[in-house]
Amino acid sequence: MILDNILNAIIELANFKTLLLMTIGAMAGLLAGAIPGFTIAMAIVLTLPFTFGMEASQGVATMIGVYVGGLSGGLMSGILIGIPGTPSSVATTFDGFPMARNGDPGFALGLGVWSSFFGGIIATILLVTIAPQLAKVGLEFQPWDYFALIFFALTVTASLAGENMIKGLISGALGLIIACVGEDDINGVQRFAFGNDYLGEGFAFLPVLIGLFAFSQLMSDVRDTASARKSLTDMGDVSVRIEHRRAIATIFRDWVNLVRSSLIGVFTGVLPAAGSSISNILAYDQAKKASPTPEKFGTGHSGGIIAPEAANNATAGGALITMMALGIPGDIVTAVMLGALLIHDVIPSPAFISEEPTIAYAIFIAFFFANFLVLGLQTGALRGFVLVTKVRMYVLASVILVYCGIGVFSLNNITNDMWTLAIFGVIGYIMRNLKFPLAPMILGVVLGPIAERWLSRSLALSTDISEFFTHPWSLFFIIASLFSIGFSFYQRDRGKKIWTLWYAPLLMLALTIPLLMMGGTVRPVLAGVLGLWAVWMFVKLPKNARALSDA
Amino acid sequence: MTTMSRDTVVSIILLAFCGFLIWAGYLIRDPQFGELSPAAWPKGVTWVLTGFCIVYFVQSLLADRAGTEPPSITDDRQPGLMGWLRWYFNPIICLALYFIFLATLPYFGTLIGGILLVFALLCFLGGITPRLIITHALIAVISVGAMWLLFTYGLNVLLPRGELIPGI
Repeated sequence: MILDNILNAIIELANFKTLLLMTIGAMAGLLAGAIPGFTIAMAIVLTLPFTFGMEASQGVATMIGVYVGGLSGGLMSGILIGIPGTPSSVATTFDGFPMARNGDPGFALGLGVWSSFFGGIIATILLVTIAPQLAKVGLEFQPWDYFALIFFALTVTASLAGENMIKGLISGALGLIIACVGEDDINGVQRFAFGNDYLGEGFAFLPVLIGLFAFSQLMSDVRDTASARKSLTDMGDVSVRIEHRRAIATIFRDWVNLVRSSLIGVFTGVLPAAGSSISNILAYDQAKKASPTPEKFGTGHSGGIIAPEAANNATAGGALITMMALGIPGDIVTAVMLGALLIHDVIPSPAFISEEPTIAYAIFIAFFFANFLVLGLQTGALRGFVLVTKVRMYVLASVILVYCGIGVFSLNNITNDMWTLAIFGVIGYIMRNLKFPLAPMILGVVLGPIAERWLSRSLALSTDISEFFTHPWSLFFIIASLFSIGFSFYQRDRGKKIWTLWYAPLLMLALTIPLLMMGGTVRPVLAGVLGLWAVWMFVKLPKNARALSDA
Repeated sequence: MTTMSRDTVVSIILLAFCGFLIWAGYLIRDPQFGELSPAAWPKGVTWVLTGFCIVYFVQSLLADRAGTEPPSITDDRQPGLMGWLRWYFNPIICLALYFIFLATLPYFGTLIGGILLVFALLCFLGGITPRLIITHALIAVISVGAMWLLFTYGLNVLLPRGELIPGI
């Protein structure tokens, strides 16, 4: 069965047009990822208009090419000029740039390229094995559970805003409000339209997303005339050859770091709203802690390049697991992919893998193949990168600004979408300047209608609100949401205040309740393990509290 | 006397916006069927947003009182309206040019309007010298021309046409 699905997916993808599109996508992703200021999400967003006319699997394969390319491209500028191309390569710069400055740029690039590749392959294996299993779990979900899951996704996004958590929460709520404008899906009643036709139509998700994210980013890029007139070649030398053999040998010697970082990447990706911008730093931090020579990190240590690069590529696999198994976009990139699939009337849900096996397995295969493609294209991309670095930022920004408009128009062939793009570009720019995170707002726009639909279905089945607490998965996500809201405070006070010592054991103890309610064998056993662990942590708590007070 | 920080001002504006949303929520028609009325979700979200905005407002006020609020202006921009305008001059002009492009789209169409917009943006951001004008004109014509050809003939998208030259 699985082999049949894989075979069908290969047949679906193995044609010249799809492979060419994927190659172009991967190359474009590599270049876009390499240009500081142009994030992967932006590259995916800009690719979107081209996929409207394609088959669903073709369109998604192209986007996956861009995605994987973008994740790998970020390392080029990070290593060669010390400016990470994307937020997912921030940690790569910590050791990549010093190594390049120490006269080993080819080796640094080799480490980055091959770690990305191996990270991607490990993630593919997990994607193929975990996604169908997680989808089976997803099939147990009832409307209450879905609503609670979306609530969890929104709280995680907001809590990741860190110091600005309240701004993250406001941003998410504003996203939900934006999604309310226009005709509601359930009753067809106009909301917040005030008799205006434009508002009555509602805001299409993609123009809102491109406006909030890409348009506002371009405005930020051109704010300062002097930096807008600079090209990357003004910032450093970028001509170099990649050292493949030495890099592979080093990575194999440090395989524990590679596997650990890849697992961190996949796990971060699976969590709703936690993307590669977090995983690369987490993996770097863990690699440093586990290293016998942590003092060498930051001076050009190979482990400091392997960890973030393996993690950020693996995160893509994790994000795809959540999107495909549960139909919930984990980050902006998968939100755009979800949008692209919806345009083709493909609706990811727990039943997606079993109902649309060809497309689902095409995504698996495309992700697997994209890693090889990107590996092969790196040398060529490096040459392309050298050319792109000669272009001034203001030229890129001006051309892309018009491209955004044309691309958005092609979505529904209406000029209103171009206005939506500009209006949300302004809103996005204002929010950026007021330090409101945009990711919660974007996820709010995507998840709002889905949440409302599930809430409506829940209430249609029963108007009893206690159902949200009596269904195990719903309770599980509600508990996780409450703790995720407290997570930013926990992060802030960890190692400083005694209350943080209660956080992890309380979370584990609380999660044992829904796990026990789920029944079966595995989950109650898991609950038992969690419970015992929590008790052990409680026993150790007074000692740890004393140590903390002394410190 | 403590001065209001930018966060406090923003929270007040947001609270006013919440007030507007609460009012607008009562304008939503209720068809009297289904368990979840069309107004319930927007109203619920509005109240949640209001709650967050109140927390944000209180946090900002407390920070103002304690004097822990970092100054709103942490960069080298000058204070006052003129300083603000000077700081955001480029984005304001770029947005204005984009809105002009949209407003004139029915007249110029995508191809000519797009070329004019890219040319105007390039000249505004990149500077004007005889050599740059030629370079910018070439970039504008080639880039928008290529995009127009790609979308029109490659992706079969009927891009907006203008009254000036009805064919394009």
